[in-house]
Amino acid sequence: MSNSIDDRALLALVEESDDLHADAMRDGREQLGDYVEAAKEARFEQSRAIGAGAIVAGAAGAAVLGSALPAFASGNQDIAILQTAASIENLAVATYGVALTLPFIGGSSANAVVKTFVMKTKAQHEDHAAGFNAAVKNLGGKEQNNPDPKYLKYVNSQKPHLTDAGKVTALAIALEDVAAQTYTKNVTLVSTSDLRQTFASVAGVEAQHKAILLAVQALIAGGAPQLIALPPNLAKLPKAAGSVGFPDTFYPIKSASPASEGAVK
Amino acid sequence: MTRRDDLPTEIQISEAELTVMTRELDDIHNDSMSQVRENMAGVADRIASVTRTVANRRTFLLGGAAVVGGAALAACGGSSSGGTKSSSGGTTGGGSSPYMGDLKVVALAAALENLAVAGYGLVLKSAGKGKYGKVPPAIAQFATTVQKQHSDHAASWNSVLSNAGVPKVTGTPLTIAAPSVKALQDAKSLPAVASVALGLENAAAETYVFAAANVTDPGGIANAATIAPVEAMHAAILSFVLGKYPVPNSDIGISNAVQPSALTA
Repeated sequence: MSNSIDDRALLALVEESDDLHADAMRDGREQLGDYVEAAKEARFEQSRAIGAGAIVAGAAGAAVLGSALPAFASGNQDIAILQTAASIENLAVATYGVALTLPFIGGSSANAVVKTFVMKTKAQHEDHAAGFNAAVKNLGGKEQNNPDPKYLKYVNSQKPHLTDAGKVTALAIALEDVAAQTYTKNVTLVSTSDLRQTFASVAGVEAQHKAILLAVQALIAGGAPQLIALPPNLAKLPKAAGSVGFPDTFYPIKSASPASEGAVK
Repeated sequence: MTRRDDLPTEIQISEAELTVMTRELDDIHNDSMSQVRENMAGVADRIASVTRTVANRRTFLLGGAAVVGGAALAACGGSSSGGTKSSSGGTTGGGSSPYMGDLKVVALAAALENLAVAGYGLVLKSAGKGKYGKVPPAIAQFATTVQKQHSDHAASWNSVLSNAGVPKVTGTPLTIAAPSVKALQDAKSLPAVASVALGLENAAAETYVFAAANVTDPGGIANAATIAPVEAMHAAILSFVLGKYPVPNSDIGISNAVQPSALTA
């Protein structure tokens, strides 16, 4: 693929995007911080209700909160959900890392837009993993630093076949879709408003990754990789390229990973 | 480096191949719609039941939310004052609203979707009259497909309202409607139109992230969660079209969500 973009313009776009990203990450960290506080509060309220008859008012709050931590960490579904989410992110980071070692994705023959997209998307998944693990840790759980075991097998099975940009794109679409479906479903499973917001928020970003990858995939499959550019040459884009990026009116959840899939055992 | 002007004029991509892909997407779409209709029937029953005890409901939805519709208004270049007529002919705003609690957010969502449908309709009509010059096929396809998806979103929210025994929102009773329409009417070029649409899609995505966190009904949460990623995907493609980095943030915020108080019905 040839580079069809002004490198300085692309660099400026990425820098601008990085500024937005830094702002967004601050918001994201605040969301997760709010979630942790809310979860701790919920845990305290739950424990206080359970042990109300045996606890003396005053010092009881701190005592209950402290003693409840291990039980909460081992049994709370939110922690398992967050660990599974972190495992999906870890796998995405690793997969994009492998992709960047391929000459047609991260090397001299790569399309500049695709290469930049893969680099930035990898960084965004790193942010997601760090955010999910920070929440896990603050809730007393164990950080999940390993990849999702189910999809790791799939990625490993595909690695020998990653011989062109189209195949890498297809693999990335699969991973982004699993992430988006899982987080969309997680919105309905988690216990606090703040965590619902967090998963809805990150689901949207993974869906955006998928949208762009679908468009890229269609252009590669159609033999028009030169149209992958920022901005694209709109007049030359085929008609169907206008809709290939968002195939579902309602984002599906059929392939969502269960909460336990990537939980730390 | 290859400049856009140097690119070959012939599109190598197979239109037939992409058309087949689009047909497949339509099939997927129809499957997802049947699931959504089932989901929405349950939502309506639950919300109707809960609405009878509004006093027990969280009240932040009735105007106390801290979010603002900044992005939508900024994108539309207008103020937040004024209402608009619903399709039933009555001027909305003022007086008692039939929409309380979760139903206010549902009505807001329906109105936002109607605004999107009307907006893309206006753009398509203007394009047909040659206002923007020659419109690339991909752009027309984008507008047509997105309009259909927004129409389906509106129908899903309106089915909730109808089943809950309150009026459907058939118009655009929103404070942001008039400035949004004016911004679209003032736009003289496709990039200008796309910028307005991007503001609306981003605002819609953020509104649904907010709704996922703050609606109390499980089905309503699920519906907001499954629509938010789709609006985010629309936004990503629009950013791409405009030559902006398509996934600028690691998460989708809520600072530009349209607040429930923007609903004038």
